[in-house]
Amino acid sequence: MRDTSTAFRVKKAFGYAMMLTFLAFSLLPVIWVVLLSMRPPTALFEPIWESPGAWTLDNIRSIARSDFPAALLNSFITAGSSTLLAMLIGVPGAFALSKRRSSNKFFASWLLLLLRMAPPVGFVIPLFLVYVRVGLIDTYVGLIFAYTSLTLPFVVWSMWTSFNQIPDELIEAGLMDGASLGRVLWRIVIPAARPGLVAAGVLSFLLAWNDFFFSLIITRSDTTTAPVAVMNFVSYASVDWGAIAVASIALTLPIVPIIVLANKYIVQSLGGAVKG
Amino acid sequence: MIKTTHGALSAMLLLGSTALAPIAANAQDREVNVLLFSMPSTRGLAALADDFEAETGITANIDVVGQDVFESRITLSFTGGARDIDVVHTPVIQVQRWVEAGWLEPVTDTVEGLEDKDDILSGPLEAYQVNGDYYGLPFFAETGLMAYRKDLLDAAGVEAPETWDEMLEVAKAVDSDETAAIAMRVAPGQGFNMFVFPMLMRAYGGKFFADYPDDMTPALDSPENLEALNTYITLMNDYGPQGIGNFNFPEVVAALQNGQAAMTVDGTSIVSQAVDPAASQFADEFVLALPPGGPAGRSPAIAVHGLGIPAGSENAETAAEFIKWATSTETLTKLAINEAFPDFTRASVAENAEVQAKYAEVQEDFLDLRIEALNLAIGHYRPLIPTWPEIGAAIGENVNAAVNGQMSPEEALEAAQEEMEIILSY
Repeated sequence: MRDTSTAFRVKKAFGYAMMLTFLAFSLLPVIWVVLLSMRPPTALFEPIWESPGAWTLDNIRSIARSDFPAALLNSFITAGSSTLLAMLIGVPGAFALSKRRSSNKFFASWLLLLLRMAPPVGFVIPLFLVYVRVGLIDTYVGLIFAYTSLTLPFVVWSMWTSFNQIPDELIEAGLMDGASLGRVLWRIVIPAARPGLVAAGVLSFLLAWNDFFFSLIITRSDTTTAPVAVMNFVSYASVDWGAIAVASIALTLPIVPIIVLANKYIVQSLGGAVKG
Repeated sequence: MIKTTHGALSAMLLLGSTALAPIAANAQDREVNVLLFSMPSTRGLAALADDFEAETGITANIDVVGQDVFESRITLSFTGGARDIDVVHTPVIQVQRWVEAGWLEPVTDTVEGLEDKDDILSGPLEAYQVNGDYYGLPFFAETGLMAYRKDLLDAAGVEAPETWDEMLEVAKAVDSDETAAIAMRVAPGQGFNMFVFPMLMRAYGGKFFADYPDDMTPALDSPENLEALNTYITLMNDYGPQGIGNFNFPEVVAALQNGQAAMTVDGTSIVSQAVDPAASQFADEFVLALPPGGPAGRSPAIAVHGLGIPAGSENAETAAEFIKWATSTETLTKLAINEAFPDFTRASVAENAEVQAKYAEVQEDFLDLRIEALNLAIGHYRPLIPTWPEIGAAIGENVNAAVNGQMSPEEALEAAQEEMEIILSY
């Protein structure tokens, strides 16, 4: 039976009001950036009602003509490749850590955790010096390897917990039926751990996509990624707010469909639910 | 129970080894790696890279980045001895520090070898001389100018101020609820408030040192400096826009362009944006003039940027060729025509008819004003010493705190004086 008392309605209204307030609070900056991206420089800092007719696509055009699209492509290439590499190495690695009985496990897990805990500034300087010597500065390979140092421990740790939730019996049954270990991993374990897999992939992509620091240090004009390229609109004695607004949107847009499509899996994975 | 394979590890090693393969083929002789930070002149220079290649056959990889990105890159590159940069953007204010740290290669031979060396403005060029050697060639020199809204001053029945004392009165007359009288940079930093505040200091007869460069005793806590600081505080707090205590160049520029401020005193790269019709709603109303003076005359700010060669550069020869090309009359003339600012460092550029016509359109005497300000400006407007970046930052913090009411002007100057003494005693 539904409770339709006044008290309930008041509570519900209060709930909605709170929700709308929070929604406005978190969406306002986004809306503001969208508006900024379409305002001419002369009207950038004016309230909309003072110049309701001042709109322009110049900011978008100037971004399209700048180096920013190339930087976006660089972000895609490096974040995508490092995620792929981390998955290729990390998923079998996590599988081994989860299912193999070994005395080194404790050591391995701590080593991985240490990599995750160490601030990037701790290893970016040695990395930079090595890269200069071997010529990996401003190369895709160099940046992909650097990103893999972020994404690989993440993939291993998150897949490790996913694999832990898969019963050993499932694997033993597969092996007893004569399947090879690789086949068991590919046909039985990975499908069962799909939510974890998607979540690990998406989150490690985001980890690399949002990186500023590695790209700042080890890229130059050829492989600069988008987060660093945004900073280039802040120049001596002027800040191109319109361009920064367009660039921020361009940096966010590709993420939205990925998150929407993978949302189900990420929630499942973070919630720890496993469907048998 | 389950046996692990070494497949993953070998795959990684394989990837690693193939990745390293193309490096050997990368070494080309006629290349030069240039790192600049973003400003109209450097963006304009990057756009001319093909001209350089056509003239010399050298490929210039010009990287123009934001100022913060630039700082991180050079710090790592210089301290790590990476030698990945052949030509580096060298602000005059950093030269002493970089030379002391051994980060720059002298370019004296290149400078002395120039047939038209005399054409380079001597103030900016000499600022690159440390211990008898040149460490850079200037491509950009901006000076302090004033921009004021003629319509608002006329309406208030006042003339443009000639001195900072007059500025106080003009500001009082012009200030209104809609438009603050004056916006200047207050944000702390040797290149922010300490770029503009010394214009007041020196006009009132204030100094950083007792007798630069002979007597380097800090002389901040003088009555002259106090008078200058009081004027600055009154102008900003009584006649400045709301939030002025944190204003840096983007806020000052926005305030001028949107009609929130009637006057400013700052470098050409700021005031030029007030008269730029593409960005400023009041481009037609703004008039440029020399900055106000005082009992000790006028002292326009000066900021010089040049190109230097990092120590140990493996392409020092091609680097020198690039620097010669980038600071040549031909290149600087192209920059003055292509970009919105007249900050060239060679006298002959001002003789080019196209350059003259372009800036006369903004204001008949724009180029003359700039030359006059350059002549008035003293080379050590900001002291040319290795510790200036730290000293400038320390004074800037205290001056900012005084404007924001966190300490009295007397306390601020005393604190700055003490910090200066500590920095100099290292």
